[in-house]
This record gives sequence, structure tokens and C-alpha cells, in this order.
Amino acid sequence: MEFRDYYSALGVERGASADEIKRAYRKLARKYHPDVSKEPGAEQKMQEINEAWAVLSDPEKRAAYDQLGRSYRAGQEFRPPPDWDAGFEFSRGAGPFGAQAGDFSDFFASLFGGFGRAGPAGRDAFRMRGEDHHAKVMIDLEDALHGATRQITLRVPSVDAHGHVALRERTLNVRIPQGVRDGQQIRLAGQGMSGSAGGPAGDLYLEVRFRPHPRYRVDGRDIFETVPVAPWELALGATIKVPTPTGTVEVKVPPGSQTGRKLRLKGRGIPGSPPGDLYLVMEVVLPPADSDRARRLYETMARELGFDPRRGLGG
Amino acid sequence: MTRQDVLTGMLLEEAALTLEELARACRADPAWVVARVELGVLTCATTRPAPRFSDRDLQRARRILALERTFDADPELAAMFADLVDEVERLRGRLRRAGLDAD
Repeated sequence: MEFRDYYSALGVERGASADEIKRAYRKLARKYHPDVSKEPGAEQKMQEINEAWAVLSDPEKRAAYDQLGRSYRAGQEFRPPPDWDAGFEFSRGAGPFGAQAGDFSDFFASLFGGFGRAGPAGRDAFRMRGEDHHAKVMIDLEDALHGATRQITLRVPSVDAHGHVALRERTLNVRIPQGVRDGQQIRLAGQGMSGSAGGPAGDLYLEVRFRPHPRYRVDGRDIFETVPVAPWELALGATIKVPTPTGTVEVKVPPGSQTGRKLRLKGRGIPGSPPGDLYLVMEVVLPPADSDRARRLYETMARELGFDPRRGLGG
Repeated sequence: MTRQDVLTGMLLEEAALTLEELARACRADPAWVVARVELGVLTCATTRPAPRFSDRDLQRARRILALERTFDADPELAAMFADLVDEVERLRGRLRRAGLDAD
């Protein structure tokens, strides 16, 4: 395990005041806020910032960390000495916004993640229900259409016989039900954090997110698919074969259609009550004028049709 | 690493969570939720016979709570930010539907 320099994570000096630390934290929280940031790895960065804030904003934790950290540099191999926290009275378990040791690094968990312990003095813990936990699971559109099983790995703190805390990986196989929507949550009862002193475990909330699909776009339960069509298929109408998420279908393109026209296939979206629809978006593709014959055909159309696509613009 | 059998969870729909479940999932006090509902910052999917919340309410409540705690934000201000994020997501959805890159 490597020592973490929380001061450099927030970009402040070791002697920074509480106000300076708060200002630095908020500035970085704004920059890396997952709802607005386009920075690569913003979510990971936000966790690091939150972890640093969890320690440096709490006077007791900060004092203990400062005492411990005098002889360490960031990245240096680290193992907490026995009773390193003697004389400090910080509370363990929860970080800012209810974040937990499982949300943070091994380093944090080893120092401040003593679940089931009320404090360094080792007072008896109350029987308490474990906290609920939140995680994301990425799926493909096909998983929502047909249902699937996905494996997710969570990092959970565990306490050994000596009271040392470390994060361990826990792998769950979770059934993704058919008809799930992007952003929907699945609750797994009793799969959250362990309770203390025999209390029940919390629940795990899984937020389902769809991976971008190269061919289909999803909105709620509706699916959108762009279908390339030839100009004459739009102009004259045609019956065309289109591969869709649930198999190839034949659809009639009405004559006189324009590019961008949507054909709705009712109930062929994501299953549900009611099921979503599949929208086929017609997109005209022009044949290339790359031969004498093709050029002549275009010239004939230009001459014979007298078509001015900009007539409505005036001028 | 430990492995388990396949777990089947409950898909949260409208009116899935009680007040206490929502509060617990946010790691907040139920009184915090009640105060935000009274302010109109959070809404319930249904109020009778008891308030019930949807998965979207849960996502919104977590977002508002994090903003309040990170920036000491006023609940109304945090709610306005959450509204703007919802609006951005709605517009990104329209871009995606139109086949355009949302970024």
C-alpha cells in the first residue's frame, strides 16, 4: 500500500488553514464534478478529492494523519504502525456525503475505515444495519432486450482478527432483467455493507447504464436507428429490408418521403408496459457521380426536373 | 475474491421506495427528505397512503444532498442545479436521437 499525500491532492500546503482547504476542495469539486466535468477520469479524481477532504476537513483525522505522515512521502510504501491512532477520537466509517471506506482507497480504509469499531478505544459497537451501497453496471442494448447476467466487482472493507481494515474485492453475478431502461436502478436486498454487531446488511443499488451502440440510439424504451436509403427509394417508395435489434424486418417506405423521415415500428423497442417503439430514420445516400454514365444521369435529372432545393429561401 | 450465485434484484419503478428507504439509500436523515419535500425541492411519486419515491427521485435526492454538503449549498440552489443537469441530459438525449454526438 502506498502512502497518499492528501495535501497535494487538494493542492494546498501542509500548514493550510481550514478555510484554505475548504476553498481548494470546492474549486476542485467544481472542476471534477461528475455531472459537469468533461475531464478524463473525472469520477476517479473526484473520489480522490473527496477522500482528501474527508481527512483534512476533520480536525481529529487531520491531526492523526499529520502525525503519521511526517515521515512519509506520496507513493512511499506504507503500513500503519500499531496503535498509530492512540490519543485521537475521530469517528470511523463515514466520509463526506456518507461516502464509505469502500468508496475510497486501501490507504484510507486502513486508517479510518474501522467498521464495527466505535473508535480507537475499541468501545463495543451498537447493533446497526449496514449502509446501503451504490454502484453502476454497464450493459449493452441487447441485454435490455433479452435480459442477461452481468458480473460486477465491488470493493468492500473487511476487518481481520487484529482489527486491521483492508479493502477486498467481492464479485457478484447479477441478473439484468429484460426491459430495463438506461439509468434505472436495481435494488439487491442485503447486498450492501455488512451490519455491525449482528445487524442486517444494507442494500445494494445498481444504476444501469447502456454502452453506446454503433447502430442504435436509445431514449427511454424507444430505439432509434438510422437507415441509409437511395434517393429513388424515398421518391418513388419502396419495400426495404432493415436489420433491427430483434431481427430483420421488411418496411414500406412511402413515396414522396424526405430524408430524416421516421418510420415507427410500434412495440419493437425495449420490452415493458407499455413497450417502447423502434424508429427507423431514413437518411438519403447519393450514388457517387464517379463514372460517365452516372454523371450523365445526374445531368439529365438536372436538366429535366428543373428542381431548385433552395426555392423557399427567397433571394 | 468471493463468488456467489446469480442474484436477482428488484427493478425500481415508480413509487418503489418508502421515505425511510430513500433516506437510507441517500445516507441521510428522513427529516432531511421531509424538509426537501415540503420545500418542493424533492417530489414523491405518490403521497397516499404514504409517500413513495421512484428511482429518479433517488438519483435527484443523492445529487442534491451531495451539492448541499460539498458547497454548503442552499437546498433551492442545489435543486436548481439538479434541474439544469436534468435539462442537459434531456438535450443530450435529443442530440443522441438525432444521431449527433452529445459531446
